Amino acid sequence: MSKYFYIALTSIRSRLAYLGELGSKTIFLFVVLYIFLCLWKVTYAETNQSSLGGLSLKQMLWYLVVTESIIMSLPTIATLVDQDVRTGALAMQLVRPMSYPLNMLAQTSGERVLSFALNFLVGSIIALTFVGPLDFNISGIAMFLLLIPLSFALDFTIYFLIGLAAFWLEDTTGLTLIYSRMTMILGGMLIPLELFPDGWQQILRVLPFSAIVYGPARVFVTGDLQVFLSVLIQQIVAILVFAFVIRIVYNLALRRVFSHGG
Amino acid sequence: MENAVSVSQLVKNFVLKKRAGMRWTESEVKAVDGITLSIEKGQSVAFIGPNGAGKSTTIKMLTGILHPTSGEANVLGCVPWKERTRLAKRIGVVFGQRSQLWYHLPPRDTFELLSKIYEIKQDVFKSRRDMLIERFQLSEFLDTPVRKLSLGQRMRAEVACSLLHGPEVIFLDEPTIGLDVIARQELRDLISEWNRENGVTVFLTSHDAGDIQHVARRVIVINHGRVVLDDRVSRVRRQYLREKVLSVKYADTPESISLDGVKTLKESGHAFKFEVDTLAVPIEKVMSEIMRIGSVVDITIEDPPLEEVIAHIYSAPPSEFGEDAADDDDADENESKS
Amino acid sequence: MSWLTSYANLASAYIKINFKSLLAYRGAFISQMVAMFINDFVWIAFWCLFFTRFPVVKGWGVNDVITLWAIAASGFGLAHMIMGNALALPGIIMRGELDSWLLYPRAVLPHLLLGKSSASSWGDFLFGIVVYVIFVKPDLPHFTLLMALICSVAVLFVGFSVFTGSLAFFMGSAESVSTQLRIAMITFSTYPSPIFQGFVKILLFTLLPAMFVSHLPVSALRNMSMIDALYSFGGALGVLFAGIIMFYVGLRRYESGNLMEMRG
Repeated sequence: MSKYFYIALTSIRSRLAYLGELGSKTIFLFVVLYIFLCLWKVTYAETNQSSLGGLSLKQMLWYLVVTESIIMSLPTIATLVDQDVRTGALAMQLVRPMSYPLNMLAQTSGERVLSFALNFLVGSIIALTFVGPLDFNISGIAMFLLLIPLSFALDFTIYFLIGLAAFWLEDTTGLTLIYSRMTMILGGMLIPLELFPDGWQQILRVLPFSAIVYGPARVFVTGDLQVFLSVLIQQIVAILVFAFVIRIVYNLALRRVFSHGG
Repeated sequence: MENAVSVSQLVKNFVLKKRAGMRWTESEVKAVDGITLSIEKGQSVAFIGPNGAGKSTTIKMLTGILHPTSGEANVLGCVPWKERTRLAKRIGVVFGQRSQLWYHLPPRDTFELLSKIYEIKQDVFKSRRDMLIERFQLSEFLDTPVRKLSLGQRMRAEVACSLLHGPEVIFLDEPTIGLDVIARQELRDLISEWNRENGVTVFLTSHDAGDIQHVARRVIVINHGRVVLDDRVSRVRRQYLREKVLSVKYADTPESISLDGVKTLKESGHAFKFEVDTLAVPIEKVMSEIMRIGSVVDITIEDPPLEEVIAHIYSAPPSEFGEDAADDDDADENESKS
Repeated sequence: MSWLTSYANLASAYIKINFKSLLAYRGAFISQMVAMFINDFVWIAFWCLFFTRFPVVKGWGVNDVITLWAIAASGFGLAHMIMGNALALPGIIMRGELDSWLLYPRAVLPHLLLGKSSASSWGDFLFGIVVYVIFVKPDLPHFTLLMALICSVAVLFVGFSVFTGSLAFFMGSAESVSTQLRIAMITFSTYPSPIFQGFVKILLFTLLPAMFVSHLPVSALRNMSMIDALYSFGGALGVLFAGIIMFYVGLRRYESGNLMEMRG
């Protein structure tokens, strides 16, 4: 276990050298948060509501801070796995099946956590300036802290699977693109699930996307126990399902590698 | 005879800003420190010097890319930095880092694009293009994507590109670098042929002594931003480029060589290094002698490196050189052809 | 006038050769176009969802936002389909590649801008028009005005890219700065204009001229207003001139050799 922790730490340390990116993230987040503030301000005013989808304007903006931070922190998991497949580096690891995914998880998690923290820090400062602090509730924060690592883990399993598709596909960037865009839209990056058309909400609460993006953000701003529990179950089930699929695909890949002579 | 290029006291200073911690220091770098030269129409000139000597800066000023700090220059009756587009129609350029050929497309497509850039009339374009294809032997790969061509083929096509609009002066920067022996000779022949038969003034920079000997009739050496030598190739050759170095490896110990004009530089086991004065003894004689004294396993023939030649120039008394005098051109022409 | 035909011929020669060059790698070309389509479509999906829940916002409905996206995407696409090097300008300046362009008997700026075509921009261009035709179902007058406005926005984007790219003549980190500015510009251009008020609104009419993409063209199409169309064209030309001036001032500096670092 300590080995994986060390890998995560090294990854974080190397990312610290990229603090120059901070400037560009800041500007982008500033622009996006500002624009959505304008949009939601106008929408709340025109509908004469103080709460839309169970969120006040303030909560809506902080919701956005979390979702953007999650989306923007995505490391290039699928690309890394894809490369390892094509260079044969993965094939060499197939004999000891569990070390490669765990290695990759540790390596990219360090990156993801740091990136998320930075995005969140910047976004928070901006949100504080625009709408002021959220009415903090400890339970909300606690729920959030529990859901976030599971959200990252779930996201990881799916991107990992996409990377594995490199065994069969010439190019996995198309899949990566489609999945990332679906996460944005169906995961509730810009609008919380409650504001989707009714028919959609049922389906979306089952699909993994909302567990990755909407879930942590929603509980952070409202500390809603019901939402927390349903998202938690959603995440755990999805992780188990995808981990199982990874196992199957892994075996298929192994068979393919050995039959093709490595 | 009219001058194709005339330069008078051309100076170019750069301000170099260096950062030391928090402070900025400015220093002035004299890249070109008063160059004066003139080149007649139809001449073929090699412009050589070590890196940082001011060659590229000078060429940039002559082609209109850079404005000088002071001094004058005139190329084909135009002041380059003042009449850039007018001049550009009449000069051709082949610069090392710059490839005009579109990488993923066949050379034919680049030719067509160039005809539109230079606004060449279709009939003129077609006839000139076909002539270039024939003379440069491009037909075998005219429709092959450039990325699939060998370096030699690419350079031939590049030089052809630079001639498509019928320029009167061409500037070539290291055109033979990286080419194998045969490709290099082919390219040299094409360039000198174009110079002789079409009267195109050639301005060539190179690190290769062979380029200078086979393409240029005049050589200008520049260092520290100044002209240090401006003379006919034949004379420079007589002084500095007459030697060739032969590295020979024998199967067993050969007989000793004793031929006037051949000096043994190094000897180790069966490997020998000879220095041959090509003006004292014809190379053919040397070759047959080398073959006669033993069984040759390997042989390399090299020109002395240019850096050595330039270093040699500085050690020679300065009264030997001066501006090119227009005398005895015929005699020199015969010599430089050998 | 002959100057115009001369450069029109040059442009068509470059469009032809750029297209041919992109086709040499047909697979990559198509996949880049499709990727851009998907990217752009995500936003249309978002707005459809938003407007299902909130049908009208400050007088704007879903059709207006789609119109906006059509103009912005196709305008951006057209600009960089034809003048793809506008995006690469800072790099060209800093690597000394301007020298190559200066050796041709052509005005440097238009020539170098034509030198490349951005593959993904073709996707943007097609997307805008397709989405407009499918969702808005326009009649001929509207479609014609759309095309004119797309050209106007294309001119604006070229001008803006040239302006920000020319910063490379004056500062070292121009590449990231111009990318930031471009992202900000595109982002602001793709949201309903009425949501912006006050100081920001003024900013969006001047330094970051997004209003000439999101406000005036959309209202021109909505109301078939020729005045708004003229204002759009005017704004676009203004941005273009600003870019051209910025470039040539920087070029003067470049030609005297006083760039931040000495070029080889």
